[in-house]
Amino acid sequence: MELVNKDIVEKQIGNSEKSSKLKVKVKDLDFYYSDVLALEKISMNIPSNQVTALIGPSGCGKSTFLRTLNRMNDLIDGVRVEGEIIIDGKDIYKSGIDVVELRKKVGMIFQKSNPFPKSIYENVAFGLRIGGLGNKSKSELDEIVELSLKQAALWDEVKDRLEESALGLSGGQQQRLCIARALAIKPEILLMDEPASALDPISTAKIEELIHELRKNYTIVIVTHNLQQAARVSNYTAFFYLGRLIEFDKTSKIFTNPSNKQTEDYITGRFG
Amino acid sequence: MERLLDEHLEKLKTRVIKMCSLVDEQVQLVSKALDEDNLELAKYVIEQDKKVDKFDLKIDKICQKIFALTQPVAMDLRLIMSSMTLNTDLERIGDIAVNIAENLILIEKKPDFYFQTKLPEMFSSAKKMLKNAIDAYINGNPELAKSVIHDDGEVDKLNSENHSILKTIMKQSPDNIEGAVALLVISRELERIADHSTNIAEDVFFIYEAQLIKHKYEKFFFEDSSDED
Repeated sequence: MELVNKDIVEKQIGNSEKSSKLKVKVKDLDFYYSDVLALEKISMNIPSNQVTALIGPSGCGKSTFLRTLNRMNDLIDGVRVEGEIIIDGKDIYKSGIDVVELRKKVGMIFQKSNPFPKSIYENVAFGLRIGGLGNKSKSELDEIVELSLKQAALWDEVKDRLEESALGLSGGQQQRLCIARALAIKPEILLMDEPASALDPISTAKIEELIHELRKNYTIVIVTHNLQQAARVSNYTAFFYLGRLIEFDKTSKIFTNPSNKQTEDYITGRFG
Repeated sequence: MERLLDEHLEKLKTRVIKMCSLVDEQVQLVSKALDEDNLELAKYVIEQDKKVDKFDLKIDKICQKIFALTQPVAMDLRLIMSSMTLNTDLERIGDIAVNIAENLILIEKKPDFYFQTKLPEMFSSAKKMLKNAIDAYINGNPELAKSVIHDDGEVDKLNSENHSILKTIMKQSPDNIEGAVALLVISRELERIADHSTNIAEDVFFIYEAQLIKHKYEKFFFEDSSDED
Protein backbone atom coordinates (compact mmCIF):
# COMPACT_ATOMS: atom_id res chain seq x y z
CA MET A 1 0.00 0.00 0.00
CA GLU A 2 1.25 3.47 -0.85
CA LEU A 3 1.69 5.14 2.51
CA VAL A 4 2.57 8.61 1.42
CA ASN A 5 0.94 10.51 -1.33
CA LYS A 6 3.92 12.62 -2.28
CA ASP A 7 1.89 15.18 -4.19
CA ILE A 8 -0.30 15.83 -1.18
CA VAL A 9 2.64 16.19 1.17
CA GLU A 10 4.41 18.51 -1.22
CA LYS A 11 1.32 20.61 -1.72
CA GLN A 12 0.77 20.86 2.01
CA ILE A 13 4.36 21.74 2.72
CA GLY A 14 3.92 24.45 0.13
CA ASN A 15 0.82 25.71 1.94
CA SER A 16 2.53 26.02 5.30
CA GLU A 17 5.44 27.74 3.61
CA LYS A 18 3.20 30.38 2.15
CA SER A 19 1.07 31.06 5.19
CA SER A 20 3.76 31.43 7.82
CA LYS A 21 7.44 32.11 8.27
CA LEU A 22 9.43 28.91 8.57
CA LYS A 23 11.41 28.00 11.65
CA VAL A 24 12.47 24.44 10.93
CA LYS A 25 12.90 22.81 7.56
CA VAL A 26 13.22 19.04 7.52
CA LYS A 27 14.32 17.45 4.29
CA ASP A 28 14.44 13.73 3.46
CA LEU A 29 15.17 12.74 7.02
CA ASP A 30 16.00 9.06 7.63
CA PHE A 31 16.65 7.94 11.17
CA TYR A 32 18.11 4.59 12.24
CA TYR A 33 18.31 2.87 15.61
CA SER A 34 21.28 0.65 14.65
CA ASP A 35 19.89 -1.12 11.58
CA VAL A 36 16.26 -0.34 12.23
CA LEU A 37 14.85 2.43 10.11
CA ALA A 38 12.62 4.39 12.49
CA LEU A 39 11.92 7.41 10.32
CA GLU A 40 11.83 7.33 6.56
CA LYS A 41 12.10 10.25 4.17
CA ILE A 42 10.46 12.82 6.40
CA SER A 43 10.10 16.21 4.77
CA MET A 44 8.24 18.85 6.65
CA ASN A 45 8.33 22.57 7.28
CA ILE A 46 7.55 23.77 10.76
CA PRO A 47 6.23 27.32 10.78
CA SER A 48 7.47 29.94 13.21
CA ASN A 49 5.33 31.03 16.18
CA GLN A 50 2.81 28.31 15.59
CA VAL A 51 1.98 25.10 17.39
CA THR A 52 2.64 21.97 15.38
CA ALA A 53 1.20 18.74 16.78
CA LEU A 54 2.64 15.33 15.96
CA ILE A 55 0.10 12.54 16.15
CA GLY A 56 0.08 8.85 15.34
CA PRO A 57 -0.17 5.45 17.02
CA SER A 58 2.48 4.25 19.46
CA GLY A 59 5.74 3.42 17.77
CA CYS A 60 5.03 5.51 14.69
CA GLY A 61 8.14 7.64 15.18
CA LYS A 62 6.65 10.90 16.40
CA SER A 63 8.72 11.09 19.60
CA THR A 64 11.84 10.02 17.72
CA PHE A 65 11.15 12.80 15.25
CA LEU A 66 10.64 15.32 18.04
CA ARG A 67 13.95 14.36 19.59
CA THR A 68 15.81 14.75 16.32
CA LEU A 69 14.96 18.45 16.46
CA ASN A 70 17.37 19.12 19.34
CA ARG A 71 19.56 16.06 18.83
CA MET A 72 18.41 14.37 22.01
CA ASN A 73 18.75 11.07 20.16
CA ASP A 74 22.53 11.57 20.04
CA LEU A 75 22.55 10.22 23.59
CA ILE A 76 21.45 6.79 22.35
CA ASP A 77 24.09 4.38 21.05
CA GLY A 78 24.03 3.35 17.43
CA VAL A 79 21.69 5.98 16.05
CA ARG A 80 22.27 7.38 12.58
CA VAL A 81 20.68 10.32 10.84
CA GLU A 82 20.51 11.06 7.13
CA GLY A 83 18.95 14.07 5.49
CA GLU A 84 18.77 17.61 6.76
CA ILE A 85 17.17 19.52 9.60
CA ILE A 86 17.64 23.20 9.05
CA ILE A 87 16.85 25.56 11.89
CA ASP A 88 17.18 29.24 11.07
CA GLY A 89 19.21 28.42 8.01
CA LYS A 90 21.67 26.05 9.71
CA ASP A 91 21.75 22.26 9.31
CA ILE A 92 21.85 21.04 12.92
CA TYR A 93 23.46 17.73 11.94
CA LYS A 94 26.40 19.33 10.16
CA SER A 95 29.76 18.92 11.90
CA GLY A 96 30.83 21.85 14.00
CA ILE A 97 27.39 22.44 15.45
CA ASP A 98 27.50 23.14 19.20
CA VAL A 99 24.88 20.78 20.57
CA VAL A 100 24.69 22.62 23.90
CA GLU A 101 23.93 25.86 22.10
CA LEU A 102 21.37 24.02 19.96
CA ARG A 103 19.59 22.70 23.03
CA LYS A 104 19.51 26.19 24.54
CA LYS A 105 17.72 27.34 21.45
CA VAL A 106 15.49 24.26 21.26
CA GLY A 107 14.15 23.52 24.75
CA MET A 108 12.31 20.38 25.75
CA ILE A 109 9.50 19.47 28.11
CA PHE A 110 8.98 15.82 28.92
CA GLN A 111 5.97 13.68 29.65
CA LYS A 112 6.81 13.32 33.31
CA SER A 113 7.73 16.49 35.10
CA ASN A 114 11.31 16.23 36.31
CA PRO A 115 12.13 19.09 38.69
CA PHE A 116 15.46 18.96 40.46
CA PRO A 117 15.41 18.31 44.22
CA LYS A 118 16.08 21.97 44.81
CA SER A 119 14.04 25.04 45.61
CA ILE A 120 11.52 26.43 43.14
CA TYR A 121 13.82 29.40 42.57
CA GLU A 122 16.91 27.28 41.98
CA ASN A 123 15.07 25.05 39.53
CA VAL A 124 14.33 28.01 37.29
CA ALA A 125 17.77 29.59 37.79
CA PHE A 126 19.60 26.29 37.26
CA GLY A 127 19.95 26.54 33.50
CA LEU A 128 21.31 30.04 33.79
CA ARG A 129 23.83 29.06 36.41
CA ILE A 130 25.28 26.06 34.53
CA GLY A 131 25.00 27.85 31.21
CA GLY A 132 27.56 30.38 32.25
CA LEU A 133 25.02 33.07 32.88
CA GLY A 134 25.36 32.65 36.61
CA ASN A 135 27.53 35.72 36.78
CA LYS A 136 24.39 37.78 36.41
CA SER A 137 23.62 39.90 39.42
CA LYS A 138 21.12 38.60 41.92
CA SER A 139 18.57 41.17 40.84
CA GLU A 140 18.96 40.19 37.17
CA LEU A 141 18.54 36.54 38.06
CA ASP A 142 15.49 37.38 40.20
CA GLU A 143 14.01 39.19 37.26
CA ILE A 144 14.49 36.28 34.86
CA VAL A 145 13.10 33.78 37.38
CA GLU A 146 10.04 35.94 37.95
CA LEU A 147 9.47 36.50 34.25
CA SER A 148 9.87 32.80 33.44
CA LEU A 149 7.46 31.78 36.19
CA LYS A 150 4.99 34.40 34.99
CA GLN A 151 5.28 33.16 31.41
CA ALA A 152 4.66 29.64 32.67
CA ALA A 153 1.55 30.90 34.51
CA LEU A 154 2.96 29.71 37.84
CA TRP A 155 4.16 32.95 39.49
CA ASP A 156 0.99 33.73 41.41
CA GLU A 157 0.93 30.26 42.92
CA VAL A 158 4.57 30.16 44.05
CA LYS A 159 5.74 33.75 44.52
CA ASP A 160 5.56 33.50 48.32
CA ARG A 161 7.42 30.22 48.58
CA LEU A 162 10.23 30.40 46.05
CA GLU A 163 12.68 28.92 48.50
CA GLU A 164 10.56 25.85 49.18
CA SER A 165 11.38 22.52 47.54
CA ALA A 166 10.02 22.09 44.02
CA LEU A 167 9.10 18.53 44.94
CA GLY A 168 6.31 19.86 47.16
CA LEU A 169 4.42 21.22 44.16
CA SER A 170 1.50 19.37 42.57
CA GLY A 171 2.05 17.43 39.35
CA GLY A 172 0.56 20.22 37.22
CA GLN A 173 2.64 22.86 39.00
CA GLN A 174 5.79 20.77 38.59
CA GLN A 175 5.17 20.53 34.88
CA ARG A 176 4.69 24.30 34.63
CA LEU A 177 7.87 24.73 36.66
CA CYS A 178 9.70 22.62 34.08
CA ILE A 179 8.28 24.88 31.40
CA ALA A 180 9.50 27.93 33.36
CA ARG A 181 12.93 26.30 33.67
CA ALA A 182 13.03 25.77 29.92
CA LEU A 183 11.90 29.35 29.27
CA ALA A 184 14.55 30.86 31.56
CA ILE A 185 17.32 30.16 29.07
CA LYS A 186 15.31 31.96 26.37
CA PRO A 187 14.81 29.23 23.80
CA GLU A 188 13.16 29.91 20.45
CA ILE A 189 11.62 26.50 19.97
CA LEU A 190 9.89 24.38 22.60
CA LEU A 191 9.55 20.65 22.09
CA MET A 192 6.91 19.02 24.23
CA ASP A 193 6.60 15.26 24.53
CA GLU A 194 3.11 14.55 25.85
CA PRO A 195 3.40 17.35 28.41
CA ALA A 196 -0.04 16.84 29.92
CA SER A 197 -0.56 13.10 29.68
CA ALA A 198 0.09 12.53 33.39
CA LEU A 199 -2.04 15.44 34.57
CA ASP A 200 -5.64 15.84 35.73
CA PRO A 201 -8.13 17.73 33.47
CA ILE A 202 -7.73 21.09 35.25
CA SER A 203 -3.92 20.99 35.11
CA THR A 204 -4.17 19.80 31.51
CA ALA A 205 -6.37 22.78 30.67
CA LYS A 206 -3.80 25.10 32.27
CA ILE A 207 -0.97 23.59 30.22
CA GLU A 208 -3.07 23.92 27.07
CA GLU A 209 -3.84 27.58 27.80
CA LEU A 210 -0.17 28.09 28.44
CA ILE A 211 0.76 26.54 25.09
CA HIS A 212 -1.72 28.87 23.44
CA GLU A 213 -0.12 31.86 25.19
CA LEU A 214 3.48 30.77 24.56
CA ARG A 215 2.85 30.42 20.86
CA LYS A 216 3.09 34.19 20.51
CA ASN A 217 6.79 34.11 21.36
CA TYR A 218 7.91 30.56 20.68
CA THR A 219 7.64 27.92 18.01
CA ILE A 220 6.12 24.87 19.64
CA VAL A 221 6.19 21.26 18.52
CA ILE A 222 4.11 18.92 20.63
CA VAL A 223 3.70 15.17 20.61
CA THR A 224 0.35 14.07 21.96
CA HIS A 225 -1.72 10.93 22.05
CA ASN A 226 -4.77 12.97 22.87
CA LEU A 227 -6.31 13.86 19.54
CA GLN A 228 -8.70 16.37 21.05
CA GLN A 229 -5.72 18.07 22.61
CA ALA A 230 -3.95 18.23 19.26
CA ALA A 231 -7.13 19.69 17.75
CA ARG A 232 -7.47 22.24 20.55
CA VAL A 233 -3.93 23.55 20.85
CA SER A 234 -2.26 23.24 17.47
CA ASN A 235 -2.28 25.22 14.25
CA TYR A 236 -0.70 22.45 12.19
CA THR A 237 -0.88 18.70 12.59
CA ALA A 238 1.41 16.01 11.26
CA PHE A 239 0.21 12.43 11.17
CA PHE A 240 2.93 9.78 11.40
CA TYR A 241 2.47 6.09 10.73
CA LEU A 242 5.10 3.35 10.61
CA GLY A 243 7.92 5.86 10.56
CA ARG A 244 6.54 7.92 7.70
CA LEU A 245 4.82 11.25 7.53
CA ILE A 246 1.43 10.47 6.06
CA GLU A 247 -0.16 13.89 6.12
CA PHE A 248 0.79 17.38 7.26
CA ASP A 249 -1.67 20.22 7.07
CA LYS A 250 -3.55 22.85 8.97
CA THR A 251 -5.16 21.30 12.04
CA SER A 252 -8.60 22.51 10.97
CA LYS A 253 -8.20 20.63 7.70
CA ILE A 254 -6.83 17.46 9.29
CA PHE A 255 -9.74 17.24 11.73
CA THR A 256 -12.52 18.16 9.34
CA ASN A 257 -11.49 16.81 5.99
CA PRO A 258 -8.17 14.98 5.91
CA SER A 259 -6.83 14.18 2.46
CA ASN A 260 -5.52 10.76 3.32
CA LYS A 261 -7.74 7.79 4.15
CA GLN A 262 -5.30 6.56 6.81
CA THR A 263 -5.40 9.93 8.56
CA GLU A 264 -9.19 9.85 8.50
CA ASP A 265 -9.23 6.30 9.90
CA TYR A 266 -6.82 7.26 12.67
CA ILE A 267 -8.48 10.47 13.82
CA THR A 268 -11.93 8.89 13.75
CA GLY A 269 -10.62 6.01 15.86
CA ARG A 270 -10.95 3.29 13.26
CA PHE A 271 -7.41 2.10 13.91
CA GLY A 272 -4.52 2.84 16.22
CA MET B 1 -12.62 -2.08 13.99
CA GLU B 2 -16.05 -1.52 15.54
CA ARG B 3 -16.02 1.75 17.49
CA LEU B 4 -18.26 2.80 20.33
CA LEU B 5 -19.30 5.69 18.15
CA ASP B 6 -20.55 3.31 15.45
CA GLU B 7 -23.34 2.12 17.69
CA HIS B 8 -24.55 5.70 18.18
CA LEU B 9 -24.22 6.47 14.48
CA GLU B 10 -26.18 3.38 13.53
CA LYS B 11 -29.00 4.47 15.82
CA LEU B 12 -28.91 7.99 14.41
CA LYS B 13 -29.04 6.76 10.83
CA THR B 14 -31.95 4.45 11.60
CA ARG B 15 -33.89 7.31 13.15
CA VAL B 16 -33.17 9.66 10.26
CA ILE B 17 -34.24 7.01 7.76
CA LYS B 18 -37.47 6.47 9.70
CA MET B 19 -38.05 10.22 9.74
CA CYS B 20 -37.42 10.32 5.98
CA SER B 21 -39.98 7.63 5.27
CA LEU B 22 -42.52 9.24 7.58
CA VAL B 23 -42.20 12.62 5.89
CA ASP B 24 -42.16 11.11 2.42
CA GLU B 25 -45.39 9.28 3.30
CA GLN B 26 -46.99 12.52 4.54
CA VAL B 27 -46.28 14.22 1.21
CA GLN B 28 -47.57 11.21 -0.75
CA LEU B 29 -50.74 11.12 1.35
CA VAL B 30 -51.53 14.82 1.07
CA SER B 31 -51.02 14.61 -2.67
CA LYS B 32 -53.47 11.68 -2.78
CA ALA B 33 -55.93 13.55 -0.55
CA LEU B 34 -55.93 16.47 -2.99
CA ASP B 35 -56.26 14.16 -6.00
CA GLU B 36 -59.26 12.42 -4.49
CA ASP B 37 -60.70 15.39 -2.54
CA ASN B 38 -60.37 13.05 0.40
CA LEU B 39 -60.89 15.14 3.56
CA GLU B 40 -60.54 12.16 5.87
CA LEU B 41 -57.10 11.50 4.49
CA ALA B 42 -56.24 15.21 4.91
CA LYS B 43 -57.22 14.96 8.57
CA TYR B 44 -55.08 11.84 8.93
CA VAL B 45 -52.08 13.78 7.57
CA ILE B 46 -52.64 16.48 10.21
CA GLU B 47 -52.87 13.83 12.91
CA GLN B 48 -49.71 12.05 11.76
CA ASP B 49 -47.65 15.23 12.13
CA LYS B 50 -47.31 14.54 15.84
CA LYS B 51 -45.25 11.48 14.95
CA VAL B 52 -42.99 13.58 12.74
CA ASP B 53 -42.44 16.06 15.56
CA LYS B 54 -41.62 13.25 17.93
CA PHE B 55 -38.95 11.89 15.61
CA ASP B 56 -37.56 15.37 15.13
CA LEU B 57 -36.92 15.59 18.88
CA LYS B 58 -35.52 12.06 19.03
CA ILE B 59 -32.96 12.87 16.34
CA ASP B 60 -31.93 16.13 18.00
CA LYS B 61 -31.47 14.30 21.27
CA ILE B 62 -29.26 11.58 19.88
CA CYS B 63 -27.10 14.13 18.02
CA GLN B 64 -26.65 16.08 21.23
CA LYS B 65 -25.65 12.91 23.02
CA ILE B 66 -23.10 11.93 20.37
CA PHE B 67 -21.51 15.40 20.44
CA ALA B 68 -21.27 15.40 24.21
CA LEU B 69 -19.92 11.88 24.57
CA THR B 70 -17.71 11.25 21.57
CA GLN B 71 -16.36 14.55 20.13
CA PRO B 72 -16.69 13.37 16.53
CA VAL B 73 -14.35 14.57 13.77
CA ALA B 74 -14.08 14.43 9.98
CA MET B 75 -16.72 12.30 8.22
CA ASP B 76 -18.41 11.41 11.53
CA LEU B 77 -18.69 15.10 12.37
CA ARG B 78 -20.14 15.93 8.97
CA LEU B 79 -22.66 13.11 9.21
CA ILE B 80 -23.94 14.27 12.58
CA MET B 81 -23.97 17.98 11.71
CA SER B 82 -25.83 17.27 8.49
CA SER B 83 -28.25 14.88 10.12
CA MET B 84 -29.26 17.69 12.45
CA THR B 85 -29.86 20.19 9.69
CA LEU B 86 -31.59 17.79 7.33
CA ASN B 87 -33.76 16.70 10.22
CA THR B 88 -34.98 20.30 10.51
CA ASP B 89 -35.73 20.35 6.78
CA LEU B 90 -37.67 17.10 7.05
CA GLU B 91 -39.69 18.45 9.95
CA ARG B 92 -40.55 21.57 7.93
CA ILE B 93 -41.66 19.41 5.00
CA GLY B 94 -43.93 17.61 7.46
CA ASP B 95 -45.43 20.97 8.45
CA ILE B 96 -45.94 21.85 4.80
CA ALA B 97 -47.90 18.63 4.24
CA VAL B 98 -50.12 19.73 7.12
CA ASN B 99 -50.58 23.22 5.62
CA ILE B 100 -51.66 21.70 2.31
CA ALA B 101 -54.06 19.36 4.11
CA GLU B 102 -55.56 22.33 6.03
CA ASN B 103 -56.05 24.26 2.80
CA LEU B 104 -57.87 21.31 1.27
CA ILE B 105 -60.14 21.08 4.31
CA LEU B 106 -60.80 24.82 4.00
CA ILE B 107 -62.00 24.61 0.39
CA GLU B 108 -63.50 21.09 0.88
CA LYS B 109 -63.04 20.26 -2.78
CA LYS B 110 -60.43 21.39 -5.21
CA PRO B 111 -61.81 23.83 -7.84
CA ASP B 112 -62.33 22.65 -11.41
CA PHE B 113 -59.66 24.98 -12.71
CA TYR B 114 -57.09 22.98 -10.69
CA PHE B 115 -56.22 21.08 -13.88
CA GLN B 116 -55.52 24.30 -15.77
CA THR B 117 -52.68 25.00 -13.32
CA LYS B 118 -49.21 23.45 -13.10
CA LEU B 119 -49.98 21.97 -9.68
CA PRO B 120 -50.15 18.32 -10.78
CA GLU B 121 -46.73 18.70 -12.39
CA MET B 122 -45.40 20.51 -9.35
CA PHE B 123 -46.59 17.76 -7.06
CA SER B 124 -44.84 15.13 -9.09
CA SER B 125 -41.58 17.16 -9.36
CA ALA B 126 -41.52 18.03 -5.65
CA LYS B 127 -42.22 14.41 -4.68
CA LYS B 128 -39.47 13.22 -7.01
CA MET B 129 -37.00 15.73 -5.55
CA LEU B 130 -37.81 14.67 -2.01
CA LYS B 131 -37.53 11.00 -2.88
CA ASN B 132 -34.18 11.48 -4.61
CA ALA B 133 -32.81 13.57 -1.74
CA ILE B 134 -33.80 10.81 0.69
CA ASP B 135 -32.35 8.09 -1.56
CA ALA B 136 -29.12 10.08 -1.84
CA TYR B 137 -28.88 10.14 1.96
CA ILE B 138 -29.71 6.49 2.48
CA ASN B 139 -27.43 5.22 -0.29
CA GLY B 140 -24.67 7.80 0.20
CA ASN B 141 -24.97 9.05 -3.36
CA PRO B 142 -23.67 12.63 -3.82
CA GLU B 143 -24.29 12.51 -7.57
CA LEU B 144 -28.00 11.94 -7.02
CA ALA B 145 -27.91 14.78 -4.48
CA LYS B 146 -26.46 17.05 -7.17
CA SER B 147 -29.33 16.19 -9.54
CA VAL B 148 -31.84 17.24 -6.87
CA ILE B 149 -30.17 20.64 -6.56
CA HIS B 150 -30.33 20.96 -10.31
CA ASP B 151 -34.08 20.14 -10.42
CA ASP B 152 -35.00 22.98 -8.06
CA GLY B 153 -35.04 25.55 -10.86
CA GLU B 154 -37.79 23.64 -12.67
CA VAL B 155 -40.13 23.76 -9.65
CA ASP B 156 -39.45 27.48 -9.16
CA LYS B 157 -40.44 28.01 -12.78
CA LEU B 158 -43.70 26.04 -12.38
CA ASN B 159 -44.53 28.08 -9.27
CA SER B 160 -44.24 31.38 -11.09
CA GLU B 161 -46.27 30.00 -14.01
CA ASN B 162 -48.98 29.07 -11.49
CA HIS B 163 -49.04 32.64 -10.26
CA SER B 164 -49.82 34.00 -13.72
CA ILE B 165 -52.39 31.29 -14.45
CA LEU B 166 -54.20 31.76 -11.13
CA LYS B 167 -54.17 35.57 -11.46
CA THR B 168 -55.90 35.23 -14.83
CA ILE B 169 -58.45 32.80 -13.32
CA MET B 170 -59.17 35.20 -10.45
CA LYS B 171 -59.75 38.03 -12.90
CA GLN B 172 -62.33 35.91 -14.76
CA SER B 173 -64.77 35.75 -11.80
CA PRO B 174 -64.81 36.74 -8.13
CA ASP B 175 -66.22 33.26 -7.39
CA ASN B 176 -62.85 31.83 -8.35
CA ILE B 177 -60.94 33.85 -5.79
CA GLU B 178 -61.29 31.62 -2.74
CA GLY B 179 -60.22 28.46 -4.58
CA ALA B 180 -57.46 30.27 -6.46
CA VAL B 181 -56.01 31.71 -3.26
CA ALA B 182 -55.93 28.21 -1.73
CA LEU B 183 -54.17 26.88 -4.82
CA LEU B 184 -51.68 29.76 -4.71
CA VAL B 185 -50.85 28.79 -1.15
CA ILE B 186 -50.45 25.14 -2.15
CA SER B 187 -48.22 26.15 -5.06
CA ARG B 188 -46.02 28.15 -2.71
CA GLU B 189 -45.87 25.23 -0.28
CA LEU B 190 -44.80 22.82 -3.01
CA GLU B 191 -42.07 25.22 -4.00
CA ARG B 192 -40.90 25.13 -0.38
CA ILE B 193 -40.86 21.32 -0.38
CA ALA B 194 -38.50 21.57 -3.34
CA ASP B 195 -36.35 24.10 -1.44
CA HIS B 196 -36.12 21.89 1.63
CA SER B 197 -35.33 18.87 -0.55
CA THR B 198 -32.52 20.93 -2.08
CA ASN B 199 -31.20 21.68 1.41
CA ILE B 200 -31.24 17.97 2.23
CA ALA B 201 -29.35 17.24 -0.98
CA GLU B 202 -26.76 19.90 -0.08
CA ASP B 203 -26.30 18.25 3.29
CA VAL B 204 -25.81 14.85 1.66
CA PHE B 205 -23.23 16.37 -0.66
CA PHE B 206 -21.44 17.86 2.34
CA ILE B 207 -21.37 14.53 4.18
CA TYR B 208 -19.74 12.67 1.31
CA GLU B 209 -17.74 15.32 -0.50
CA ALA B 210 -16.85 17.61 2.43
CA GLN B 211 -17.83 20.64 0.38
CA LEU B 212 -20.42 23.20 1.30
CA ILE B 213 -22.37 24.04 -1.79
CA LYS B 214 -25.06 26.10 -0.10
CA HIS B 215 -25.67 29.51 -1.56
CA LYS B 216 -23.60 28.30 -4.53
CA TYR B 217 -20.55 28.79 -2.32
CA GLU B 218 -18.58 25.77 -3.36
CA LYS B 219 -15.69 24.67 -1.15
CA PHE B 220 -16.41 27.57 1.20
CA PHE B 221 -15.59 25.53 4.24
CA PHE B 222 -12.02 24.59 3.60
CA GLU B 223 -10.74 27.39 1.47
CA ASP B 224 -11.92 30.10 3.75
CA SER B 225 -9.12 31.23 6.01
CA SER B 226 -11.03 33.81 8.00
CA ASP B 227 -11.06 31.53 11.03
CA GLU B 228 -7.29 31.21 11.02
CA ASP B 229 -5.23 33.18 13.40
